[in-house]
Amino acid sequence: MRQRHTVRLLAAAAALTTTAALAACGGSDSGGSSTAAPGADALSHAKGVTTVEFWHSMKGPNAVALNSIASRFNAAHKGKIVVKPVYVGEYDDAIAKYKTSVQQKHTPELIQVYDIGSRFMIDSKQTVPVYKFADKDKWDTSQLEPNIANYYTFNGKLDSMPFNSSMPLLYINKKLFAKAGLDPNKPPTNLAEIMADAKKLTDRKHNVVGFNAAIYGWFLEQLLATNGDQYCDRNNGRSGLATKVDFASPDGVKVAQWWTDMVKKGYASNTGRTTDAAQQAFKSGTVGMSLESTGEMRDYINASKGRFDVVAAPFPRLSGTGSPNGGTIIGGASLWIDGIGHTDAQKRASWEFVKYAASPEVQASWHTGTGYFPVNSKALDQPSDKAWVKQYPQFTVAVNQLHSTKPSVATAGCALGVMPQARQSAEEALEKTITGGDPNAAQANLKAQADALRKPIADYTRAVQK
Amino acid sequence: MTTGGTVPRAPARHTGEHLMAYLFLVPSALVFGAFVVWPLGDSVYLSMHGSDLFGGASVFVGLQNYTDMFTSGEFGHVLLNTLLFVLLTVLPGVLGALVVVLLLESQIRGARVLRTAFALPFAFSVATASVIFSVIYNYQIGLANGILGFLGVDKVGWTTDPHMAMVSLALTTVWMNLGYNVLVLSAGVGAIPGEVMEAARLDGATGVALARRIILPLVSPQIFFLVVVTTIQSLQSFGQIHILTRGGPDGATTTLVYSIYKKAFAFGSSDFGAASAQAMVLLLIVLACTGIQFGVLQRRVHY
Repeated sequence: MRQRHTVRLLAAAAALTTTAALAACGGSDSGGSSTAAPGADALSHAKGVTTVEFWHSMKGPNAVALNSIASRFNAAHKGKIVVKPVYVGEYDDAIAKYKTSVQQKHTPELIQVYDIGSRFMIDSKQTVPVYKFADKDKWDTSQLEPNIANYYTFNGKLDSMPFNSSMPLLYINKKLFAKAGLDPNKPPTNLAEIMADAKKLTDRKHNVVGFNAAIYGWFLEQLLATNGDQYCDRNNGRSGLATKVDFASPDGVKVAQWWTDMVKKGYASNTGRTTDAAQQAFKSGTVGMSLESTGEMRDYINASKGRFDVVAAPFPRLSGTGSPNGGTIIGGASLWIDGIGHTDAQKRASWEFVKYAASPEVQASWHTGTGYFPVNSKALDQPSDKAWVKQYPQFTVAVNQLHSTKPSVATAGCALGVMPQARQSAEEALEKTITGGDPNAAQANLKAQADALRKPIADYTRAVQK
Repeated sequence: MTTGGTVPRAPARHTGEHLMAYLFLVPSALVFGAFVVWPLGDSVYLSMHGSDLFGGASVFVGLQNYTDMFTSGEFGHVLLNTLLFVLLTVLPGVLGALVVVLLLESQIRGARVLRTAFALPFAFSVATASVIFSVIYNYQIGLANGILGFLGVDKVGWTTDPHMAMVSLALTTVWMNLGYNVLVLSAGVGAIPGEVMEAARLDGATGVALARRIILPLVSPQIFFLVVVTTIQSLQSFGQIHILTRGGPDGATTTLVYSIYKKAFAFGSSDFGAASAQAMVLLLIVLACTGIQFGVLQRRVHY
């Protein structure tokens, strides 16, 4: 009697597990597996409400601004489309989660991916490139800032929609500049000038250093680009999958040596690799100059209010006046529309939102709400945007820097599948040199990291070409 | 254990009882299987495969991930860091708590308030404590360097100097563990029967002698428990490393767990094969530590 009972129970348990397993494996593939762009009819034929799950990495005021864009969009498409923004952690975490979702065949409809994740997103072959939608709708991609579009353009075609863009700038503490007898209207323009000014700014007795920035790989990438250097081979990975990184070049070595000298001589302090620590230091008013993103401008200005003025200056060149083909690379993130495993109505709904997010009005409100650069060039003409730039005149420097940059291979930035790891490796080499205090070790340290990257790059290439 | 074995019983009844016992074990076995056995098996499987673009298992590579791991100098460094971190956190953490508890025992005024104060770090989450310490450790504007500057001493790169970072990290961890350790040890001391202490005092034992001969042996179960628990905790520490140093500078604070994280998830990496191979090593180390501690230390514990 009892035995019978057990058998039946076990059978029930087995049945339950099987169902659960089946449920986990099945589903989700109701849509086409194509990555073609459906037309507007896909939505008009759709029954009920189409939901777009939108994974993003915005937090704080940026998340508020993003949620407000989504709710305005939802209100305008009531009964048809609902965009649901979901915070999935920082950019790195978002990519890690996305990879898992691909394995489970359960990707979100739309995802925000950082600049250096672009190559991976293309190679993942999961998305519908936005140029396909743009072609279908005759949506004019030239309304995007050319330098920003340049980053997300591969083989002449726009793969994702830039959304939040930023650029690096040189930030100056005006009070300390004046105290050191320097003219804040004549900021240093290259690394050598920064060192000369930092020397004058440094005042050990009052815990003042001339320069402090996070040991952030992004700055090395930028400095190399100002000299027209490519960061990885095959035209910065844009004419084929790159096979190696070039940051151990003489220019890369120059940057590492300069930074090491600055710290060794006491003109700069080293607050490590986290940007938070460097930001706190600058906001404390004890740092003369710093490198940071345009996205940090508002925070700097507001935090220093009443204590010192913040001057924004163009990002320094690596040496001299830089290369004519050089300049800064845009950073930030773009929006990718997932195709595999999604219905035509979902893809179309995602595109409707993407179009909306890139429109001049939305970009103006996004820009003024966050400090990110507007990706739509018409956004700067919006009255709300003009008022904002008036309030933060420092932003004009960023606008000029963007507009004066010539779109080139160097300023497009390196598209490498393992770019996040490459950035990390460069940081480690820089940090090792700086904390070691020996400028002569720069070459060996950078080369060791660049060489160590060959395996992950080769593994990546093999995985893509398989 | 079945003590009923001495009384002979009908074999049929026996089987029925066994079946019943298995039935009751099913729920916990299912949970254990789903959350321990299956992931463990999966780790072994992943550790013998390459990883595709999304971190899924690709081709079978046999022991390649293991040979790669042991032949790279990097991994030896990681193991050394892990050992150093455990030593720097477990011993000071337990000994420090012991000193605090013994001092508090010496009937000073306000001992209650102090005991609560010392237990307070227990209430901090790893993230909160790490963020607080990151502010203290900031090279340019941190509290620690502020105090040093006031004393006329040169600044210290608490988290940015490769020789210092591990110490700073351990200091934070010890502080975080102190609350819990103090709680456990003072409970142990509080449980010592009053007559034992009184008898010892009557015999003339005071201060150090009392602590060494009476208190220490009687709280040895608690000490043993803390050593085991904090060792395993240290081996698995992640939050403070991630927030304070990110494994740097120059890999000086990359412990085994952080190295696994770096391989599997960080910076767009998804080398689950290599990460799983390291995870197997972590498993073996934790098992070995627990085994050694139970085998060797337990014999010296006075229950």
